[in-house]
Amino acid sequence: MTSRSTPFPEVPVWDIWVRLFHWGLVATVALSALTGFFGDARWLAVHLASGGTAAALVLARIVWGVFGGGHARFADFVPRPRALLSHVIGQDHRHRGHNPVGALMVLAVFVAILALAITGLVILGGWLRLGPLAADLGTGAGHAARELHEAVALGVAVLVLMHLGGVLYESRRSDENLARAMVTGLKEARPGDIEPDGVRPRAGRAVKTIAAMAAMLLSGGLILSMRPVPNQPVAAIDPLTAEECGACHMVFHPSLLPARSWQQLMAGLDTHFGENAWIDAGDAAEIEAWLTANAAETVDTAPARIFAQPAPEAPFTLTETPAWQRLHGTLPEALFNRAPIFTRANCAACHADAETGRFSPFAISIPKETTR
Amino acid sequence: MKRLTLCLAMLAAAPALAQDTSPARLIAGYEAEAGTPANPAAGKALFLATHGTGKPDTPACTTCHTDNPRAAGQTRTGKTIDPLAPSANPDRFTDVKKVEKWFGRNCDSVLGRACTAAEKADIIAWLSGL
Repeated sequence: MTSRSTPFPEVPVWDIWVRLFHWGLVATVALSALTGFFGDARWLAVHLASGGTAAALVLARIVWGVFGGGHARFADFVPRPRALLSHVIGQDHRHRGHNPVGALMVLAVFVAILALAITGLVILGGWLRLGPLAADLGTGAGHAARELHEAVALGVAVLVLMHLGGVLYESRRSDENLARAMVTGLKEARPGDIEPDGVRPRAGRAVKTIAAMAAMLLSGGLILSMRPVPNQPVAAIDPLTAEECGACHMVFHPSLLPARSWQQLMAGLDTHFGENAWIDAGDAAEIEAWLTANAAETVDTAPARIFAQPAPEAPFTLTETPAWQRLHGTLPEALFNRAPIFTRANCAACHADAETGRFSPFAISIPKETTR
Repeated sequence: MKRLTLCLAMLAAAPALAQDTSPARLIAGYEAEAGTPANPAAGKALFLATHGTGKPDTPACTTCHTDNPRAAGQTRTGKTIDPLAPSANPDRFTDVKKVEKWFGRNCDSVLGRACTAAEKADIIAWLSGL
């Protein structure tokens, strides 16, 4: 409690929804940052869920900023330029709610998180070819969005640090615990404070608006997601290729290598990764025709894009490509040698959809070790 | 009745189409080509030996097929290979094209050369007797 000889009464400032929003945002942003900056592909589902939740919280908070009461309302805290200037030069009364600088932080965080959600959807649709925008975008857009997503994510990290710094500074300056106030919702009412305008929240309208927005976004997202996605890997595997190539290893999808690599590979079957894999000329020609007809150049997927640049000294070895090295570099070599994986070439051991050529981050599961 | 007879005949013919040979016929063919009877003991020795004259990663038949042909083997990429012994896998040695293809590949990988007809006869004779 306060050390003052004449404590001021505490009054409600932050309603329950503002507080739930704030701490919900803290949790979801933290989880998104951890999984985004440090997690591998297997964490994508968690990353999407937390990022989507953060965006949903922001949208709901915006609605509450219109229909909420007291200090929750944008009208209460979004500053006019003159008011902002007065505050910065110290000629301002105390704000129980957001002060003008704090208000700018609120707006900046909202914009940044919505930008993250939008760029995230573009990455999902363009790079991973999933979700509502998969039918509209390609890997080029997805890749660019990824750069932007990372930049905005760093921006959010900076905003968070600034926010924390601002809270500490203001708490010290005004001799109150602002973080505690966001838990209890209470702050001291002091003489000279700017008085609240007493506007009552319109909870019913807020709920209806949020429900309508949710319904529109969810149904819109679902409808858009159901559209056919162009430039996808060929789905039906040629039976001859499956029989011949699949005899010794998983059937590597033709979209994983450019046509030239397939041609080089088929020209050297007598020394095929350390073994003789001879096929009679007619069958070999048929297989090569199918492989080149469905090669990396014919699709627009992340695996095709990243594997279309083979290592010069190993033009058809996926595990030697810079992209493969980068994506798997954190995994220990012993993992690839133990049962039931046995070798780097056994993609299907961990990637359930390896033979489709899609390599979805949602289809990754590293198996427990078995006896050989 | 005629239709039923015809259908039965067609059904009876179907399996024959899927199997154009048998271990015994293959052995007879290779024996004739080699001019000598098959020797299962020699086939066993050849199959189980480490040769070192072929490609470095495949020094022996047992590299993939293991030393127990009645059990499943495993490719170097971890894929299961069905047993080689016909007693464990009746589909073995029933397709000339397939048999010749795999002898062609694996003899080169293991021995560094083509197998002779005599060697083929020996190996099939041994595997068929397990």
